[in-house]
Amino acid sequence: MRKKNGSKRIKWCAAFLAAGLALAPAQAQASDGSSYVYNGYTYDFYGNAKEGPAMFQLERTISAENLNGIPLSGVNDVCTSEDGRIFMIDTIESRMNVFDSNGEYVYSTKLIRTADNKIALDENGNQIMLSAPEGVFIHEKQQEIYIADTGNKRIVVLDMENYGLLRIINAPEELIGVTDFVPSKLAVDLADRIYVVVQSSYEGILELTREGEFAGYYGVNTPMVSLVDYFWKSIASDEQKQKMAKTYAPAFNNITLDGEGFIMAVTYDSSASDMVFRLNSKGENVLREEGNTFVVGDIWSMGSSSTGSQFVDIAVTDYGTYALLDRTKGRIFLYNFDGEMLNAFGSLGNLKGEFKTPSSIAWMGNKLVVSDSVLKYIYILTPTAFGQAVLEGNEKYYFGDWDEALVSFEQALALNANYEAAYSGIGKNYLMKDDYETAMYYFKMGNNRVFYSKAYNGYRGEWLEGHFIIIMILFVLLVAAVVGSEIRYHKQSRRKAKAAMKLRNSRKGRAEE
Amino acid sequence: MKAYLKEKLYYLKAAVFHPFDAFYEIRFRGRGSVPLAAVILVLFGILQCVSYQYTGFVINLNDLAAMNSVSIFLTWVLGFVLFIVSNWSVTTLLNGKGNLGDILKVTAYSLTPMICTLVFQVFASNFIIAEEAMIVYVITGVGTVWSLFMLLAGLCVIHEYGFGKTLIAILLTFVAAAIIMFLGILFFTLIEQMVVFIISVGQEFMRRL
Repeated sequence: MRKKNGSKRIKWCAAFLAAGLALAPAQAQASDGSSYVYNGYTYDFYGNAKEGPAMFQLERTISAENLNGIPLSGVNDVCTSEDGRIFMIDTIESRMNVFDSNGEYVYSTKLIRTADNKIALDENGNQIMLSAPEGVFIHEKQQEIYIADTGNKRIVVLDMENYGLLRIINAPEELIGVTDFVPSKLAVDLADRIYVVVQSSYEGILELTREGEFAGYYGVNTPMVSLVDYFWKSIASDEQKQKMAKTYAPAFNNITLDGEGFIMAVTYDSSASDMVFRLNSKGENVLREEGNTFVVGDIWSMGSSSTGSQFVDIAVTDYGTYALLDRTKGRIFLYNFDGEMLNAFGSLGNLKGEFKTPSSIAWMGNKLVVSDSVLKYIYILTPTAFGQAVLEGNEKYYFGDWDEALVSFEQALALNANYEAAYSGIGKNYLMKDDYETAMYYFKMGNNRVFYSKAYNGYRGEWLEGHFIIIMILFVLLVAAVVGSEIRYHKQSRRKAKAAMKLRNSRKGRAEE
Repeated sequence: MKAYLKEKLYYLKAAVFHPFDAFYEIRFRGRGSVPLAAVILVLFGILQCVSYQYTGFVINLNDLAAMNSVSIFLTWVLGFVLFIVSNWSVTTLLNGKGNLGDILKVTAYSLTPMICTLVFQVFASNFIIAEEAMIVYVITGVGTVWSLFMLLAGLCVIHEYGFGKTLIAILLTFVAAAIIMFLGILFFTLIEQMVVFIISVGQEFMRRL
């Protein structure tokens, strides 16, 4: 049986090898950029970078050519809607451009109009012109487009169908704290609350009601304090402390909403102790980090001066798999709901498919839309066969289709046998099917100790249940042996005591005589 | 022979439970045994290899594919040999009464509790889940503390030191160990350069012939 499998595998390997050789010239950079193939990698349990196929490849680029002559200068935010439209914010041209999922031009605006295509006026009678906007968010529930009109310090809300003005949210009067109302990125949750990121605000994310009233600051971003600073502060006098530089909480830099309605945020402030956040209603970070690495992107950085990964944007699928966009190395990192790193790919450079200053990322189904604020391009990335298998596996697992998830993960393993996340994914599905022994095998292959322990717990429970009678008999025998020896000991000591008493009595008697 | 072994093992057990008295007997009445001490040291090295590989998966973070049992064994055993030698060199200067054999006996005998808890750790860790790992760690920790205590007590007794002086001697031992290592590395690098020099002179010579 095993031998047969082996020969089959060899055949498969030969087939792949042949396919690889045949495809080798095509795998190199194609001049039209249509099939740019990234180099992917993951980290294994021991922190070694393991090369493997990338999960995504470049499908197409959107450039000014697709815009019918409207200039495209620097895209700072992209967002997609469920019906497949791509909304992008061009900060330099102060425009919102809309494309369909094939990258065809749909709409572009700088001057906001009403639903019946008349020029809209604000309360002072001025035209509503976007000025250096930085963020856009699609609120599917109310069919609204939220634009962070950063230069004008306001939020403009449009209708998703006809792009007509619905309302304008200006700086709330009740706003407390020192944060200036300069909305940069935003998200709207399922309860219609608006979350606004103000760059370099150390008070947290601004939370507004649907009507634009100030509701509070949200989210905890704790700074890291170095031991040396802590020491000097602890011995400094009050006057000295006043002169010292204050440690402020790091700012959040980008924000999005996940499938369950949680706010997810990223920061690239080097003093922050966490970089990726999944915020609960109290504003605490409840991001799962059960993988073999923490959710920090690259775990090694070359050279003393280089910083680690700096995430400028995050995009989440309905099934909790998220992509992080790193501006240090121009990489895209993918993590699943449990915080296991799925893949990393991408680089900085001048070739098509590479980045200069990546700014924003969004999911469009299983595709990724990535923008760059210096390059005048938007990239649409489509999953490779490997990426498709991994994404499907994670989706099926998240929604509880264990058998289908197994098929997908096995496909991924056939394409990359070094892939710990797939072993661990297979293990999780077997764990859910209560097949503990198989699950243990795969968790061991995937070096996933947390889940191995869970599977072993189940296995041990079953074993104890199955051997209950033997264990019980052994236990009863043990108790019997202990009790028996105890009784024997007492009998013996009583006999001895009796004998001693007799001896004493007889001695007494003799003495009395 | 049997009686001899029995006596040695009896004093090993006594050293575990009554370190001050037993190490006194070992030092001044010849109850200890250098071969037994060497066996314990070697056993400890082997056990470290075993624990590297066979500790249960839940708490075993080692990369088994990169395991090198010779290197693990030598690291542990030579580490202790280095400790013994440098302790002897330090205490000779500090009026310590113990000789090299005594230090070897004390060091090796002190490893006994650690050996026991290590065996327990390797065995038990195969039957635990992550939440129970703490129990195993605590027991291993008790063994380590016990061993350290035995070592301190033994060194106090054989060198006829007070507690404070023993601590200072141990601190100096590490300094001495660092110096020995430095000299060793220096020695080997110089020898290597000399060998390379001789070889190249030889090669030159051969080519000109």
